[in-house]
Parts: sequence; structure tokens; C-alpha cells
Amino acid sequence: MKNKFNIHLFEFALSSIFRRGAKNIFIFFVFTLLIFLLSSVLFISNSFKSELDKTVNVLPSIIVQRLLAGRQVSIPTSRIDKLLTIEGVSKVIPRIWGYYYFAKAGVNFSLIGIDDFGDQYKKSYSRLVEKFDFSKLTYKSQMLVGKGVEAILKSNYYDGYFNFIKPDGDFVKMTIGGVFKGDTRLESNDVILLPKQKALEIFGMSDDVATDIVLKVANPVEIPNIAKKISQMYPDCRVITKEDLVKSYQNIFDYKGGLFLVLFVISAFTFFMIIYDKASGLSSEEKKEIGILKAVGWKIDNILKEKFYEAFVISFLSFITAFCLSLFYVFFMNAPILRNIFIGYSTLKPDFILPFSFNFQTFSIIFFLTVPIYIAATIIPSWRVATMDAEEVMR
Amino acid sequence: MLLTPEIISILTLDFVFFVFGTIAFFISLKIYLKWDLNATNQRQYQLEKQSHLVATIIKYIFILKLPMFLFFAFTADKLSNVIPGAMCAAGVVGSVSFSSSMFFFKILNLYIFGFWLVLNSYDLKREDLPYTKYKFLLYCVGFVSLVIEIFYEISFFTSLDPTRIVSCCSTIFSASTPILSFMFQTNKIYFAYAFYAVLLLIIVFYMTKRYTAYLFLNIAYLIVSIVSLIIFFGPYIYQLPTHHCPFCVLKKDYDYIGYILYATLYIGTFYGISGAIMSIIKQQKQTKYYNISLASNIIYALIVSSYVITYFLRNGVWL
Amino acid sequence: MIEFKNVTKTFILDNRDEMTAIKNINVHIKKGEIILLEGPSGSGKSTILSLIAALSKPTNGEVTVDGKRISKLSDDFTSVFRRENIGFIFQKFNLISTLSAKENVMVPLIPSNPDEIILESRMSELFEKFSIQSKMNILVKNLSGGEQQRVAIARALVNNPSVIIADEPTANLDKKLSLDFIDIIKKLKDGINTIIIASHDPLFFDLDFIDKTISIKNGEMI
Repeated sequence: MKNKFNIHLFEFALSSIFRRGAKNIFIFFVFTLLIFLLSSVLFISNSFKSELDKTVNVLPSIIVQRLLAGRQVSIPTSRIDKLLTIEGVSKVIPRIWGYYYFAKAGVNFSLIGIDDFGDQYKKSYSRLVEKFDFSKLTYKSQMLVGKGVEAILKSNYYDGYFNFIKPDGDFVKMTIGGVFKGDTRLESNDVILLPKQKALEIFGMSDDVATDIVLKVANPVEIPNIAKKISQMYPDCRVITKEDLVKSYQNIFDYKGGLFLVLFVISAFTFFMIIYDKASGLSSEEKKEIGILKAVGWKIDNILKEKFYEAFVISFLSFITAFCLSLFYVFFMNAPILRNIFIGYSTLKPDFILPFSFNFQTFSIIFFLTVPIYIAATIIPSWRVATMDAEEVMR
Repeated sequence: MLLTPEIISILTLDFVFFVFGTIAFFISLKIYLKWDLNATNQRQYQLEKQSHLVATIIKYIFILKLPMFLFFAFTADKLSNVIPGAMCAAGVVGSVSFSSSMFFFKILNLYIFGFWLVLNSYDLKREDLPYTKYKFLLYCVGFVSLVIEIFYEISFFTSLDPTRIVSCCSTIFSASTPILSFMFQTNKIYFAYAFYAVLLLIIVFYMTKRYTAYLFLNIAYLIVSIVSLIIFFGPYIYQLPTHHCPFCVLKKDYDYIGYILYATLYIGTFYGISGAIMSIIKQQKQTKYYNISLASNIIYALIVSSYVITYFLRNGVWL
Repeated sequence: MIEFKNVTKTFILDNRDEMTAIKNINVHIKKGEIILLEGPSGSGKSTILSLIAALSKPTNGEVTVDGKRISKLSDDFTSVFRRENIGFIFQKFNLISTLSAKENVMVPLIPSNPDEIILESRMSELFEKFSIQSKMNILVKNLSGGEQQRVAIARALVNNPSVIIADEPTANLDKKLSLDFIDIIKKLKDGINTIIIASHDPLFFDLDFIDKTISIKNGEMI
């Protein structure tokens, strides 16, 4: 157990790897590719997850939406007073928001109406409202846009302004009063903040309604109770709690990520078969070499150890190479093609950058799923080789 | 069932262990029944060859089991984000009724498989391969234990329920848990006494030839260390009288001291137990094992004691 | 120091037939002797050499080398025995052609994890002895027949074996190289190393430095 590391045996293993170059390079490339795919998917997934976690933290405790025929419709702001009477509710804020489809660019913008006199339901919005002096913007009919929006407008020749088309066909012209970078890139990239009146105008909504109503609850433990009360109060409403949102986000990621991993495991076992086969199929040259080793006094254990070093070096090298390539692909190149598995083609959101998110856990997961499998695949073939009858080879 | 990447990797390796472990099991059975070193027939040669396969498989499983144990703890910790009420791994693990059985087998296997490798190295040193049959019988036992552990692990993951609220570690490790309640109601200091008493006995018996005693003392040391860590020493490390969690010591917040603690405890007791057993078998003290065991056990004791002392020096009172 | 007591070796062929290679062989070889094992092809000479080198085990009987009953040892112990006591020179050299001369000679030493300095000095010593220092780092496949022969001999001697075995050493050599080989063997005679040569090459008959000739025919001693 405390034997000195046999560097000569290790060197011999290294030289063996190079001497069987063709076969080993093939295995190296295939294995690296597989690990690359796996780690890329995991990185992207983690990246999204951490972004979403940040988003989720600023979510309101309760969101109340009105449904008609199963679809979301505007909710009367008159309901706010009644909601305030519920015990435990500290704030009730109506929200004006929605999507605006910019046909030419084929993207959706998220429009959020800001009432500069009222409470913002999101701290980041409060900050922005202060920073850019929203009252001035309201006065000047200006909007604040996220970086992604600015880019899209520019590339479609709207320089510093945009014409929103109202439901009745008229235009509402808004100039850009400022560009912001929100708390999270995922969220803010396609966001436009504008004065509440303008938002109502663009959406063709009247003064006495809101898109939905959010509630702040002081004690999170009370949330389920309050949610129930609201449902009873307004049977035509859907009440979404923060916990519901958190769970649904988590589930999407685990589902998609998990699905891919199951697929990976299947392909890993296929690869296992390939390795097994390759390792078992020895050329007569290789068989003779093992025979020679045994004839000059190598024990079975020596040969097994040498084979293990070979397997470990190849698999570990593949692992590191694939891991680094993957880091580069995901975080420098922004993972073209693969990222679409997660965002989905349907949302048509403007581009954004995947934030760097690495933890040792991911490194471990990828390691445990790859290197040990490779080595397991070589156990039986290596053993078969090492226990060959040297005699027969000598004849 | 929750299918996070971590769980998938653990289950995949469990599957690999199970498959290879089973192969090794059938060979071991054959070897135990039919091994005859003096025979010169084909069957004996086959068995000799196959014994190497079993040894390789066991080495593979053992080497991976060590990091997997820690990985399991971290997976449980990460799951605490999804299981309501759990704030760390202890809460997640505590949410199932068989968690202590599961840990018992996990830890037991680390000792059985490790000891197999020790026995194997002794066996191969002598031309008459004296321990071969027992070695493979031991593996058969170890395999059963391994299967039980895997079974518990799978049950654990399948019974995780993100919709059910569980208690966090401060509740688990307190008088409200039935099994542990008596321990928490007793005065904590007695556990410290027990710990140091066993340590002292170990030092004493280290110098004697009473191998069996040394064996049981090391087993006792393992048990009393874990218990005293939870009840007495833990709060000093966390500087919080109610924090008893055995897992949180692995976290960055506490300088990862948990790794060193559990490593020294494992090394110390493992070498102690293995050394004692081999001493009994060979009727000769295996000094190298004894030395490593003593050193490691003492280091563990010094580390946990240092937390108590520094707390006292800093605050002037005991917890 | 090498003793065969009623040794029989039977092979089981692929088609389940049995083939007896040698039958009831009794041999006693003293330490330091140079023995010629002669007989026609297929007479069982190679089998006897394999048994001495513990590369195979007898079906019946006992093989003892230097007091050690090697016929009953497990694979691990026979490997170590072979590594420490036997130097085998094969008929076709059996060198690893994609390794250099030095690496080939080093191979038997690798499992014992020798010190770097000791290793280097042993290599220099051996390569000097056989006058092939300049060929140390050249791949074996690029060496001439004579050079390969000397590398093979160097490898057999690297561990200072007490028994040197040569299986039809001149079968693939021309007359000059064969005579070179005989010369080298002659120089190795020192009363300590036991040398056994299996050959049906007439060059070996009536050589003065050979202490004893054992004749084998059809698996039995004559």
C-alpha cells in the first residue's frame, strides 16, 4: 500500500500509448467528443439555472391574474382595496406589462409600465427609476431600454427612437431616454421600461385595469393561506405563489437536463461496448508483446497496472481536453446551436451572453460519469490480456 | 423521482459497481469452494487467473467509493435547495427513516473493502497463499453489504419528495428525535469524557500485545468520535450550542476542516482495525499499521480538542 | 541445482485431444554447468526449457531449481522467480521491435522499480560488454540480425540470472553469427551461471566447453 510510485512502469505505459497511436487517437477523439457534449450541456444548464435563480429571488410573493375562457385578461384595479384588507398583505401593486411583437426583426420586446409615483414591485426597477429620473422621462415621453433592445433597434435603422403601433393602427413614438443593464441578463435584455400611461396606450388598455396584481406578503409562511383566501375572494383569478414559480423553473431545468443526461448515459454505455471491443481485440503484435513481458518476469499485476495507467492517461486526458474545450465553447463562443435546447426556438428572444458559472460539483459529475466508465470498460479486457498463457505466444 | 445530474451520476456508478460486483461475487464463491493450490488441473489455473480479476474489481470499487462518499454528501447538500425545510445535507438525509442504516452500510463497506485489500496484500506475499479462501469468503460478505448499501441508496433517491416538508438539522440533532433523544438529554461532557477515555486506552494498548483489545478499542473510537463530534465537539467548531450537524464541517464556512477530520478518523481507525486483525492472524504485531493508526487517531483528537480550547481562550466560557 | 523428477507434460489441444510433449524426464544439472539439450524438432526440448523457466507447469512430477519447487508456485511467484533467476534467449529473439535497444533490455527490470542511477549504470555496463553502446537508442527493428542477437542476450543477462536458457539460438542465424554466439556463451562460462542450450544445430556438437549433453527424442530421454 505504501509502495513508491513506479515511474518506469508509467513511462512504459505512456510509450505503449504512442506505439499504438492509431487506435488510441480514435478512442481519444470519440471520448473527448462525448465528454464535450455532456459538459457543454451541463454548463449551459447551470448557467441558465443560476441566472434564473437570481431572477426568482426578486419575484413577488403572490401574483394574481384574471382568467376568462382559460386565457389571461386585464384585471380591474378596483380589486386592490379589497386585497389590502387581507391580513398579512403588506403591499398590493398593479402591474402593466406585456409583449410587443416587432415584426420586422421577428422578436418580442417585454414592455413594462412604470408609475414613477407608485411603489415598484422590483427593487431593480426602483433603482433604475431613480437613476434615470423617471419623472423627466415621463414628461418627455421617453423610454428606458435594455441593451439587447438597443442593439435590435439600431440594426433595424431606428436610431434612438421607436414607433409602436397601437391596436387601432396609430403610432406612438417613444425616444430612448437611457439604456440599462438589468440585474440579470436573461431578464433585462429584451425589456423596455416606459411611463405607465404610454404602456396603457400602446396596449390599448384603459385606465382602470392592470395586466395583473402582485402582492407582497411580510411572512412567507402565510403565503399559502393568503393565496387560498384570494382564490375564494375572486374565483375568476389564478393565484400564483413564489414557490410555484421556483418549483416550475427548477423542474424545467432538471427535466431537460436530466433527459439529456439519460441519453448520455445510454450513449456512454454504447461507448463502453466500443472500448471493450477495442481493448479486447489485440493484434498478434500486441499479444506477442504481452507474452514477452510475462516471459521476462512481469507479474499479472504488473501488466494490469500498466494497462490501467494506459486507460487512465487516455481517459483523463480526454476529460481535461473536453472540459477545457467545453468551457471555451460555452463561455467564450456562447454555445452556438446547443443553447437552443434550453431557450427554445419559440420565444424569439434577442441575443444574450451566457454568464460564467462554474462549480466543483459540475466538474465532479462529469468526471464520475466519464473516467470511471472508461476504466470499467477496460477491466475485463485488460485482465484477459494479462492472464494470457505466455507459453503459447512463445511458440 | 428527482433526476438531477448528480443523482444520475451516482446511480450510474452504483449500477457499474453492482454489475462488476456480481461478477466478482460468483467468481469468489467458486474460489472459496474449489480452490486448491496443490492441484495442477485446468480448473485451478482458471481460478488463479480469475482471482486477479476479482482483486482488480475490488480495487476499482474501493478507490471510487471513497470520493463517492463525499460526493454523496454534497449531492444531499445540493438537494436541500429543493426539499422544503432542509437547510443542509443532514435535513435531506434525515427525511428518510432508514438514513442511519444507509450510512452504517456505507461506512461499513469502506472498512470491509479496504480491509480486503490489506488481506490481499498479505496473502500474496506468501507462496502458500494462506488467506485466499478467507479472502474470497470475506468478499462474498462484503458483496452482500454492498448490495444492501446500493439498495438503500436507490430507495433514498426515489423517496425524496420535494413536496413534503422535512426537519432541518437543528431539529434532527436534538432531543426531539426519538433515537437520539437520550443522547441529547444526557450531559454533553460525558461524551467528551468517553472520547478521551477511549483515546487513552488506545495509547495504552498500543504498547501491548493485546491485539483483540486494540481492535475493539478502535471500533469504539470510531463510534465515540462520531457521537462526540455531533454532541460535544461540533458546537465548538460551529461556535453555536445548537449546531450539531456532522455534515456542515465539510463546508467552506468552516475551512473545510471536516475533510481532515473524517480523513484522519478513517485512516486512524482503519489502520487500527486492520492492523489489529492482521496481528491476531499472524500472531505478530504489525507495527506499521499500529503506528499510522495511533498517529492519525491522535491527530484527530488534537484537532477537535483545539476547537474547544480556542473557544474557551477566546470567550472565557465553555459552551 | 536443476532437477527434474519424473516430469511429464501433456497438452490438451483445441480439439480436446491430448498430446504428450515429454514423459518421465529425470534430469540433474549441477550449478555452473553448460548443458546442451539436443534432439530433433518437436522432441520436447522447448517444453523442458519452459518448465525450467517456470513458464509452464508439469502435468506430473516435480521441477526444482536452486532448491525451490517451482512446479507448485502460483503465477505471481513464478514470475518473480523468472525475473530474478532466469535469463531466456528466445529462438526468434522476441524483442519488442517498436522499442529501442535500451528500452528492450530494461524491460525485465521495470517491475522492481530500480533506482535511476543503478539502472543507467547497468545499461552502460551491458551495452559495453556486447559492444553495442552506439545502438542503445535505436529502435530494434532498425538493427541488424547480429545486433538484435546481442540485445537479446543483454536482456537475458540484465538481472544477473543464475540460469541462462537459450532455445535454438542459432536457428535464424548465418554461420558467422552462430559462431559469434558460441563465442559469447563460451565467455559467459564462469562456474556460477548454469547455461542450458537447446539446439539441433550440429555446430554445438563436440564443443569442448559443454559439460554435458542430454539427448531427447519423442519426449523421452535417450
